[in-house]
Amino acid sequence: MSEVTADSSETPAGATEATMVADLTAADEAVADVPPELVAQSLGQYLRASWARVRGGNSGVLPVVLAIVVVAVSFQIANSKFLSPQNLVNLFEQSSIYMLLAIAEIFALLLGEIDLSVGLVMGLASVVVAELVQPSGANWPWWAAIIVTLLASCAVGALQGLLVARLRMPSFIVTLGGLLILEGVAIIVLGGSLVGIGTSQYKNELVLYNIFWGSLNPVVSWILLAVVVGATGAGFWLRDARKRRHGLEAPPRSLTAAKIVLMAVAGIGIVVICNVNRAHVGTIEGVPYIIPIVLVVLGASTLLLQRTRFGRYVYAIGGNPEAARRAGVSLPAIRIWCFVLSALISGIAGVLFASWQVSLTTNIIKAANSYVLLAVAAAVIGGTSLFGGRGKTIHGVLGGLVIGGIYNGLYLLGVSSQWIDVVVAVVLLAAAAIDVLSRRGAPRQA
Amino acid sequence: MDPDQETPATADPGQPPSETAHARRRQTEAEAVALVAAPDMSVADVPPELLAQSLGQYLRASWLRIRGGDSGVMPVLLAMVVVAVVFQIITPEHSFLRPSNLVYIFGLSTVYMVLAIAETIVLLIAEIDLSVGAVALIGGVIAFKLVQQPGAGWPWWAAIIAALVSCGVFGALQGTLSARLKIPSFIVTLAGFLLFSGILIVALGGADGSVNLNTSDSNQAVIYDLVQGTITPVASWILLVVAVGIFGTALWLRAASRRRQGLVAPPKSVTAVRIVLVALVGAAVVVVCNVNRGTSLKAVQGLPWVIPIVIVVAGIWTLVLERTRFGRYLYAIGGNPEAARRAGVSLAGMRTWAFALCAATAGLGGILLGSFFYGEYSTNTADPGQLVLYTVAAAVIGGVSLFGGRGKALHGVLGGLLIGGIAYGVSLLNLGSLSTPLQYILPGAVLLAAVLIDVLSRRGAGSVTRV
Repeated sequence: MSEVTADSSETPAGATEATMVADLTAADEAVADVPPELVAQSLGQYLRASWARVRGGNSGVLPVVLAIVVVAVSFQIANSKFLSPQNLVNLFEQSSIYMLLAIAEIFALLLGEIDLSVGLVMGLASVVVAELVQPSGANWPWWAAIIVTLLASCAVGALQGLLVARLRMPSFIVTLGGLLILEGVAIIVLGGSLVGIGTSQYKNELVLYNIFWGSLNPVVSWILLAVVVGATGAGFWLRDARKRRHGLEAPPRSLTAAKIVLMAVAGIGIVVICNVNRAHVGTIEGVPYIIPIVLVVLGASTLLLQRTRFGRYVYAIGGNPEAARRAGVSLPAIRIWCFVLSALISGIAGVLFASWQVSLTTNIIKAANSYVLLAVAAAVIGGTSLFGGRGKTIHGVLGGLVIGGIYNGLYLLGVSSQWIDVVVAVVLLAAAAIDVLSRRGAPRQA
Repeated sequence: MDPDQETPATADPGQPPSETAHARRRQTEAEAVALVAAPDMSVADVPPELLAQSLGQYLRASWLRIRGGDSGVMPVLLAMVVVAVVFQIITPEHSFLRPSNLVYIFGLSTVYMVLAIAETIVLLIAEIDLSVGAVALIGGVIAFKLVQQPGAGWPWWAAIIAALVSCGVFGALQGTLSARLKIPSFIVTLAGFLLFSGILIVALGGADGSVNLNTSDSNQAVIYDLVQGTITPVASWILLVVAVGIFGTALWLRAASRRRQGLVAPPKSVTAVRIVLVALVGAAVVVVCNVNRGTSLKAVQGLPWVIPIVIVVAGIWTLVLERTRFGRYLYAIGGNPEAARRAGVSLAGMRTWAFALCAATAGLGGILLGSFFYGEYSTNTADPGQLVLYTVAAAVIGGVSLFGGRGKALHGVLGGLLIGGIAYGVSLLNLGSLSTPLQYILPGAVLLAAVLIDVLSRRGAGSVTRV
């Protein structure tokens, strides 16, 4: 603005100055933009590069890890039961729904879109799966019921995706209208009464019930942990080794090792906590089935987003849709697939939700709507941007843990549900503000 | 599919001529497009008032404009006719258009009208406020709580002002977050929706709580009467004459003064037709409201207070949007924020004000809602989620664009009436177990349809360049 009014002789000087400043920041920016793996030769260098990146505005998972620590410490101080093994498993179970929905939401957020219907896709899926296994009704085998439920969820996603991608209707309006319609459809499917899966004498209901409430036995839990850590660790190690062999840039060996060790420690921690007997009477111990389920969804979606052409296209569209289009990416196709995947993962969450709630009523379906806010909050708290192009599925898992912790902690303290809503709203706003401010801090993306 | 392409495949000799025919046709098509597109586009962009010298020309210019994608209030008027006819046919005993039902619809619609006008202010700058429902309900609860006796016992006008001001503050807070921190408004107001819905339940005193007006107290009765009260039939007619007289004189004098000063003005006949139309619509409303809709023991007739109230609200907002600098700035920001900024408009300030005024106007809607439900505010009658969807749908279906820069207060009024009609029409049907799900499906479908029309009409207007 000032340049317009200023004398013309001032312009060149101002321009050079601006270029110089730009050059200076460019150097910083370069460091901040390159993943630390690519510049670092040792663990020390890696840590320093990461720190430069965080300072440059690309803070990654750091805020959410801090948030987890803050939540854990403050609730533990307020109520000493918070970090007890019983409550922690409870918290994992509760968080698993938030985690899945947040992963679902991330597929939309990465594009710079939003899917407000994840909560009710989950609600509808839970009703459908519960209705399909009713012995007095459809009486399908549990696996058929789950497959059909997931297919139905995909169809919902495809429809919404079509409206967004082909007609370019704003996604928050399409999914806002969509969630209402889904709410109505879910109530129709529910048939006005409640539907339950709690009858243990029917095998199909029992399997569904156990998806959320069942656990692996402690020995199997350890074996599973060893297999998972072994497989991922070997995968990491071999990939880095191959990169090094081919002369590509790869993280230093010590870093790969540190990652694998961290993963193993976290895994051991979880298994130890889960293997404590958490029943008041009798024995309930072992890793709940839902933990491997969440890990599978996390692993599959991470591979899809980080290692396939589809994933690269998703990030490309989120970064700059016009550039992606000119590079030959079919925007509508990718967008529709993202909405389908979002709905699919919400459908998986729906199966878990049915299992969790055991019996579903109209009020529970209505309450499913509030989960979308938690999902968006979890994704954004985890570090996924609302504006597209930045985020990973692990963010959804970490953010889901924070949200689950807040819910669980406030509930333990006896806070009523409307006040919990208020707190979650504030957390969502804070997360969005951090997202905006961190983007502002990152010079290139302002 | 195309006969020109299917036949030549089998008959070799026939191919060249048909190909030239195809080419020729394409050429003529191109010419036709060129002939239609360019002049039509320019015509379609200019308001018909500016070109027409007579009523006939005015109608033709309006028609061209509609064909060009700027359909204005046409779709919502058509939709109203369709809704009225369809519900009249399918409601039991064809009761939809009974005067008593129509007055009930007016009462219900006024809530949506006021909220839709509020939402329009924010939609004009290409933002959205998803918290209007929750904020409006909090406004209603504040007003209701403040007049309680025993309790705060404020005079009704002070309670209403306090409610509107608090709503304005809530709106300003959200507007500040959205405008200064540049958090997308739908996220800020989504969080606001959750926040205020929680506070609403707390304010009502838990999930089963409620606030009631005691109508034997004359102070509380004023708020109760906002929707429930009526003026006498004679007063209704007098009010109509006065209102049409003022409106007509103002319209006529303005057009005349423009003509005198050599400015572009609509032809006299157009002004006259407008005034007559307003008078006819007004007379119809008064006739409908003056039919006795009470019982044989206690007559209820006359115009509900709320109708003049809504007209005043719509009138004020029309004046603000179309005759003040504030209004022009809103349209400017909605049309092109960067251009508005370079023209010296303070974007953050204007956005904050837009959210504040939206919320304050919505607060009035919340008070009307409580009055509509016979002065009882409870979590049963007040569903903030449904309310906001009806509101956005009403504004968009009325003709306000979701993408900013296009919309009027009148659109909110018409959209609100349509939504009110649909909502009440469905409740008249005996749908049994389907009636609960329809309460969700219907606003969702209406919202999607309204936005679809908005998107398609913008595409028709050739102004959409979203990737």
